[in-house]
Amino acid sequence: MRRWARASIRFRLTAWYTAALALMLVVYAGATFIAVRHEFNERLEEEEQEHATGREAENPEARLRQQLGEILTVMVLGLPPIVVLAGAGGYLLARRALAPIDQVAADARRITADRLHQRLSVPNQHDEIGRLAAVINDTFARLESSFEQLRRFTADASHELRTPLAVIRGTGEVALRESRSPAEYRETIGSMLEEVDRLTSLVETLLRLSYGDAGTVRLSRERLDLGQLTREVAGSLAVLAEDRNQRLHLDAPDGIGVVADRLILREALRNIVDNAIKYSADGATIGVRAASDTGGATVTVVDQGPGIAPEHRERIFDRFYRIDEGRSRDEGGAGLGLAIAKWAVEANGGRITVDAGDRGGAIFRIVLPAGPPAARVDFEKESVDA
Amino acid sequence: MRVLVVEDERKLAQVLVSGLEAEHYDVVAAATGEDGFFRASSEVFDLLVLDIMLPGRSGLEILKALRHRRIDTPVLILTARDGIDDRVLGLDLGADDYLVKPFALPELLARIRALLRRGRPSEAFRLKAADLELDIVARRASRGERLLDLTAREFELLEYLLRHQGHLVSREMLAREVWKEPRRATPIDNVIDVQMARLRKKVDAETGPRLIHTVRGVGFVLREGEP
Repeated sequence: MRRWARASIRFRLTAWYTAALALMLVVYAGATFIAVRHEFNERLEEEEQEHATGREAENPEARLRQQLGEILTVMVLGLPPIVVLAGAGGYLLARRALAPIDQVAADARRITADRLHQRLSVPNQHDEIGRLAAVINDTFARLESSFEQLRRFTADASHELRTPLAVIRGTGEVALRESRSPAEYRETIGSMLEEVDRLTSLVETLLRLSYGDAGTVRLSRERLDLGQLTREVAGSLAVLAEDRNQRLHLDAPDGIGVVADRLILREALRNIVDNAIKYSADGATIGVRAASDTGGATVTVVDQGPGIAPEHRERIFDRFYRIDEGRSRDEGGAGLGLAIAKWAVEANGGRITVDAGDRGGAIFRIVLPAGPPAARVDFEKESVDA
Repeated sequence: MRVLVVEDERKLAQVLVSGLEAEHYDVVAAATGEDGFFRASSEVFDLLVLDIMLPGRSGLEILKALRHRRIDTPVLILTARDGIDDRVLGLDLGADDYLVKPFALPELLARIRALLRRGRPSEAFRLKAADLELDIVARRASRGERLLDLTAREFELLEYLLRHQGHLVSREMLAREVWKEPRRATPIDNVIDVQMARLRKKVDAETGPRLIHTVRGVGFVLREGEP
């Protein structure tokens, strides 16, 4: 019985129908057999009577024909009811087998955007409809998590946008309550402008991410040297490390070819290295290493910060995700740096991961598909300048 | 220098007019596309600041019509969309430069100065402010008798400040021009600030008046005396 329940609809439908057809054929054959036997008996009785009375059959051939005709009539008359019965049986079977589809459709119709937590009832998880329902449920689950992400994103975004707005408004209102010296006004306006700057860069970042989501960012990919790019990024951020007496240990040889959009990839590298500097203590050592192996070209950034607990690693690349909710805006930024980095790496066909370091910090690893060695662009540059 | 500003957003137009007037430009404002086109084609201006999204006639249409009439006043377009198509289209139609809203006023002023200067040799090889001297060719910087030991980046930064002597320079301008970072989404403000502090230590620490000033919320300015 259990095997029967596990069988596919295809199999069950075929089996049911074969059985029904066999039954009807038996009925039909039986009826025909009875009709033929009846004719035979009649014929035998007549012959016996003739034999007894001594009368010769007047026309045996005509009688034989008549009896064959009667058998044929029985057979022809029996056909339509059998066909009708077979059709009705088939219909019933199909209806029974496909009824769950209507159920699934009705269930699916009930599930709307605000009831996404509901799921389809799966009547039999082993047959085709059960599998279909499972797939649809899976889709609903993913939809629900996207909706949830979107909802959280909207809430976070409006919080992040409102904070600078509130500061601007408050600063202005306070400044206007009494008259102040020009220097004080300058301070006030300057502080408001700082918030405007923050707001501008936030909006800019969000726009970039949404262009990324919509897939409307056109990459201008070129062959470039990842080692060189890594050195460039580390070089431009080195002052930040120096400022905090951190050592930036750089190991990025030439000759690591990748095909990528230089500006976008640089953005990813800068965000990762900037984070490493920001979250490592004064005097710490930060390792930045570019290398190429069989798996592709990699950049590894090792910091000596507090590290990232396993439960945060999944979500650390989410927009606005902050490990420490209490971290102030000045230290932590809006929490979009890693989201941008992830987008930038993935747009270039790579992956970005985070792991725990040996001595507590975090290790960010960017892996890009290996490309041909970078073209020497120096010659081109010279000809442009000339 | 006469400048025509075509901008329908009243407050923004006001800001542009007073910002330009403070720099001693003779400013005319037009609030609609029709008015802007009429003025631009009937009067003589040294420069046009043109908003792209205008009621009635769009900035791009005006630009096209003006160029069609062979009026080749330099045009700086303002756009709220930073899609590359808009920019390319604008530049293809004959705009000389563009700025994406929201822009910083110092940047707009710098762009306008650059456009008006165009065609005249302006690349000085020696830059000076008070007793600060920069020799671009020899890559040498000195303050009075004292030779300044600058890194390559610090030298570029100082050169940029000196070329915009007396004018405000925003962090965004520095990011783009000195750090070659065209995107605004990845702020390198902290890098700029640290670099600027170091440069200032070398330039202003010992002798003479302070030259590099920070204007809170706006950026930096290199000038003698208070900003």
